[in-house]
This record gives sequence, structure tokens and C-alpha cells, in this order.
Amino acid sequence: MLSEIVAQYTSEPTGYGAELTPGNFLARDAAKQFDSLSFDLPNAENPIDFLNTYTDVKSDNDNLIKLAHGTTTLAFKYAGGVVVAVDSRATQGSVIASQSVKKVIEINPYLLGTMAGGAADCFFWERELGRRCRLYELRNKERISVAAASKLLANMVYSYKGMGLSMGTMVSGWDKTGPNLFYVDNDGTRLKGNLFSVGSGATFAYGVLDTGYDHEMNKADAIDLGKRSIYHATHRDAYSGGYVRIYHINKEGWEFISLTDVDELHWQYADESRNRGA
Amino acid sequence: MSIMEYNGAAVVAMVGKNCVAIASDTRLGQQAMTIDTNFQKVFPVTDKTMIGMAGLATDVLTLRDRFRYKVNMYKLKEERTIEPQTFAHMVSAALYEKRFGPYFIEPVIAGMDKRNQPFICSMDTIGCINFAKDFVVAGNAGGGLYGMCESLWEPDLEPEDLFETISQALLNAVDRNALSGWGAVVHIITPDQVITRQLKSRMLDWADPTVKDKAVRYTRL
Amino acid sequence: MECLMGLVGKDFVITVTDTMAIRSITVLKHDEDKTRELNPHTLISYCGEAGDTTNFAEYVQKNVKLYGIRNNIELTPGATANFVRRELADSLRTRSAYQVNLLVSGYDHKKGPCLYWIDHLSALAQVPFAAHGYCAYYCISLMDRHYHPDISLDEAMGLIRQCLEELHRRFIINMPRFVAKVVDKDGIRVIDL
Repeated sequence: MLSEIVAQYTSEPTGYGAELTPGNFLARDAAKQFDSLSFDLPNAENPIDFLNTYTDVKSDNDNLIKLAHGTTTLAFKYAGGVVVAVDSRATQGSVIASQSVKKVIEINPYLLGTMAGGAADCFFWERELGRRCRLYELRNKERISVAAASKLLANMVYSYKGMGLSMGTMVSGWDKTGPNLFYVDNDGTRLKGNLFSVGSGATFAYGVLDTGYDHEMNKADAIDLGKRSIYHATHRDAYSGGYVRIYHINKEGWEFISLTDVDELHWQYADESRNRGA
Repeated sequence: MSIMEYNGAAVVAMVGKNCVAIASDTRLGQQAMTIDTNFQKVFPVTDKTMIGMAGLATDVLTLRDRFRYKVNMYKLKEERTIEPQTFAHMVSAALYEKRFGPYFIEPVIAGMDKRNQPFICSMDTIGCINFAKDFVVAGNAGGGLYGMCESLWEPDLEPEDLFETISQALLNAVDRNALSGWGAVVHIITPDQVITRQLKSRMLDWADPTVKDKAVRYTRL
Repeated sequence: MECLMGLVGKDFVITVTDTMAIRSITVLKHDEDKTRELNPHTLISYCGEAGDTTNFAEYVQKNVKLYGIRNNIELTPGATANFVRRELADSLRTRSAYQVNLLVSGYDHKKGPCLYWIDHLSALAQVPFAAHGYCAYYCISLMDRHYHPDISLDEAMGLIRQCLEELHRRFIINMPRFVAKVVDKDGIRVIDL
């Protein structure tokens, strides 16, 4: 009798489209049912090559599909937690498609992901990550660690390696071990670290960030450093711009700090610079 | 990436009532990286004619020098200042001279002729002239500029209204273009003077401490 | 893969160049001087295609020197920059164009210190600070952050050192040695980094 019940709950999930009856309802593990995703592939001999001809920036195809590119994002750990700062520009070719993109994804109250690279890829996979993190929580009755969450994401995109996904993200949050920050990209790279910047304007941001960074700084200075670094990147990189969006993470989870027009910062810093010179 | 997009530019000219206006952004980029935010693309030709050039920065500079030389030679030979119409054909001929290895610029010419009639025109890289009675555009923000001009421009604008119109058209077009902006300059040419104003656009250069106070504030549409 | 930087201060200009001569995957030389003095108050620093760089730099150097001898007056840095640009622009439309990026730094006795940025397509811009090569991607934002027009020599050297530290930290290529030169009213001199 007991073994029957156990068998019922440990049975393999039924396949997609299987009829749902009161009998097999309990037997299904909803989590497992959505475990795997499936995508339609182009009906070509080699779907991957076919896709790359149309989406790879290095392709010389005239009908290139220009995916949204160009970004500056950064995140760093310091004594008080994690600061996450991003710009808000989306470009298609040289056209500014939007100045108000939200490049931070709130995975759950304790986890943030940033977006760089293909907007659709980042959004889809980080949303999927959010779903899996929630399922983890339901299954295990405790929050997922940042390390595990980032590993989930890295594993998901790694299984599509070579198929043209474009994603450079930083997964950051607060878990049992404290503040955590991981870099994950479409190569399948996953790195733990204290300070990362990703996107076309990342080098500009690094310049300001590295020299201004101090692990023991206070929250206000940390936020200002994040803001300044993004601003300087938007000033020099044509494909970054719009607004600086800042988040702060501590043991209570993430907190949205500010959304500031870079032009406003430009004049504010101009005044400061002039005073410095005088 | 196209060579016409290497440095980034936006230039526009408009006809008003007894006046013309010509304006450009001031960015000099090396593809995505902004090098200079005070790069001039509009140059005086005579007291009442100006030329703006959008395209490859090296050719903007080369042609600026070449046209200055040609206009000076014209003045010496003919003992009169060149008319904007004549200058347009001079530019066209100079560009077509390099038909098989063109200068990578699209010029825009604006001026008042000897009867003080407004004149504007634009050209492609090899000198095909496009005469217009309303407005002409060139550069990376071209598409956006056309849209702005189509909706904002109206006939017989007085100099101050023309200034407002061309400024709004330029600023709002470059705000949607990644490769141009970082400051803008507007010249209003009237029969007796040229009024030049720097616009306070997004990310205008502030190396010159007086710029911020001199620059004209603008309101977003 | 080379690195040139320049910065205009209150009454001086600093240029910093790396000192590596590279061919393929080998470093041929660790103390190459990538600058040429055009006249007592004008210095060019250059990087780009091997061979083109020194040939072009020495060509303009000799011509600017010749101008000084012939006319008994030196070209100003501004005039020199425009001359260099024109030479490069003319070569651009030939089959064997020089592929050289340049910084022209000089001290004009009337106008003070100045810096001109010229790229391999011979676009010219007068700027308060500039960099060529990949190092621009790391250093320019730092200069944006800390620069002001009245910057003193000590402060400027501090900023340059910060830039070099950043290159050592982030840039994939290891550039162990740099040379800094200052141009001011007294002429050109090497300054310790």
C-alpha cells in the first residue's frame, strides 16, 4: 500500500499534452513537467549556420537582423552589500530604439540579474531562471543560493552553446553566505567575483570603477561610484545612454535606489569639475 | 559598418522668410567611441553663405580647406563674392571630379543670394544636387531629421521662429541617433547678419566654462 | 595594440607612449621611442602599421625642420598639426596610404599648450586629452572623470599613473614600460613616471 503511494509520487512525469485526469493529477510533478523547454528550429540543413547568417554581426548578409546591442552594466560587492548599476539605451544599428529600457531583472526579492547583449535572450533566460528559482524554493523550502541560481542560468545557456544566444549578465544577491556576485555569459562562462562590468561601454566603466573602488566605502559613496561609472561610459560610448538605474542589495534583499537622466548627471558633474578646477 | 557612419554627423538646413538656417551636431566619433564634442561641420563660405558637411571627418576638413581656396580664387578672379547657387555648382563639380574615388561627405548649402532670396540645397557624395524650397538634411540622423522637419517646418518663418524650428528638429532627431549629438550649433543667415548659437543639447561639451551659460536652453517637445 | 596618451595642463602638455616594438607574437624591443621632435616646441607621438609609423613621422619631422630653417621661424603647433594632417590626408587617397595614428602636442607662445588628435584617416581634432589604441577604451573615461583645465603637472602625472595602473589591471597586453614627455615654454623633456 505504502509503496504504491510512494510510486505514485515518484513516477516520471507524463509527456507534454497528456490528458489531465483526476487519477494522474497527483502523480504529476508540475515542476518537472516544465523542466525542459523546446524551441522550433529553422527548417534548414544546418539550422545554426542558417541562423548565424542572419543574426551574427560579423555576417555580411544584407538582410541582417539587427538584434538590440550595446550596453553598459556593472555590479560590485563592498562592505555594505552589492551595488548594481545599468544604463537604459537600446540601439538597432545607429537608431536609438529606446532610452528607457530596464536592464535589471528582479528575479526574486533577493536576486537581481543584469542584461547585456541580446535583449530578448537576456530577458527570456533570466525570467526562466526566476521560475526555476521559485520552484527550487517550493521544493526545498528554502531560498536558492546565488551560486546555485547562477549555475542554473549558466547550465541553461550552455546547453544552447553555439546556437547564437547573446547574453552577458551578472547575477547578484544575498543568501545564507552573505552578498554574492556572479558573471554568466552565453559561452557558458560563470565567474564568482567582487566587481564586474559588461557591455560595449564596460571598459569605460571599469576605468572609473577600478580607481574609485574601496571595499570599505559607505553606501552613499558606493552608489555614487556606480552612478558615475555608468555616466562616464554613456558619455564616451555611443551605444550606451539614457538613464542610470541603480539597485542596492543587503541582507533585506534588493532595494531600488534611483533612476537618473545621464544629461542631468552631466551638468551636475560639470559643476563639480569646475569647482574642483577653481 | 559604413564609412559614412564612421565619425557620425547630422546636418540640416531650412528656409524661412527672408532668412535661412543651417545647423549641425558637434560630435566626432571613432565608431562607437566619442573623441571630441566640439567638432565643427558647418563653415562660412561668404558673409551670407554657409556649407555644412556630414560624413567622413577627414573629408570634411579636406573639403573645408579646398572650398575656402576655391572661393578665394573665385573672388580674386571675378572680383565679386560667389552666389550660393554658383557655390553649389562649384561644390558639385568638385565632388564629381572624384567620381571614381569619392569624398565620403554629403554637403548641405544654405545662403542668401544677391537679391536676398533664400537658397538651400543638399548633395550626395558625388555631387548630384537636390534643390529644395523647404528643408534639406544629411548625415546619420537623416531619416529622423526628415520626419522632424516634415512635421515642424512651415513656410515663411521669421528668423527667431526658424531658429526654434530647426533647433527642435535637430535636437529631437539626434536624440534618437546614437552616432550624432553631444552638442549642436545653429546659424541663422539673414540679409544683414549671421546669428550663431550653441544649443544646450544632451551631453554638450563643458570643457569651455562659458559654454553652459551661453548655450541656449531648450524644452523637449 | 599600442598605446598613446596625451593631456593638456595649465601650462604644459604631457604625452605618454608605450615602448614595445612588436612583430607577430614577438616583442622585438622594449625601449622604442615612439615620438619625434618636430621643432623645439612641438612633439608628435605615433602608433600604427610598422614601418609606416617611423617613415611618416620622420618625413614630417624633416619637412617641419626644413620650414624652420628656410623661413627662420618655426611653425606653430597648430600649423604643424594641420600640415601633418594634410600630408596624411593626401597619402590616404593613394594606393600606399600611411596607416598612422598621431598625437601632436605643442606649446604655442601666444596660445599656450595644445594637443591635436589625428587618426589614420587623418581626421583632426584639438582636444584637452586624448588616447590612441585600445588603451583609449580604459583611459579616456578616467581622464573625463578627473581632468580639469587648470590641472597642475603633479596632478596630471598622478592621473597618468592611474591610467597606467588601470591598463596593467584590465588590459590583456602587458606593457611594462612607458615613456612620458612634457612640452612647455622651455621645450621638450622626458619626465619620470
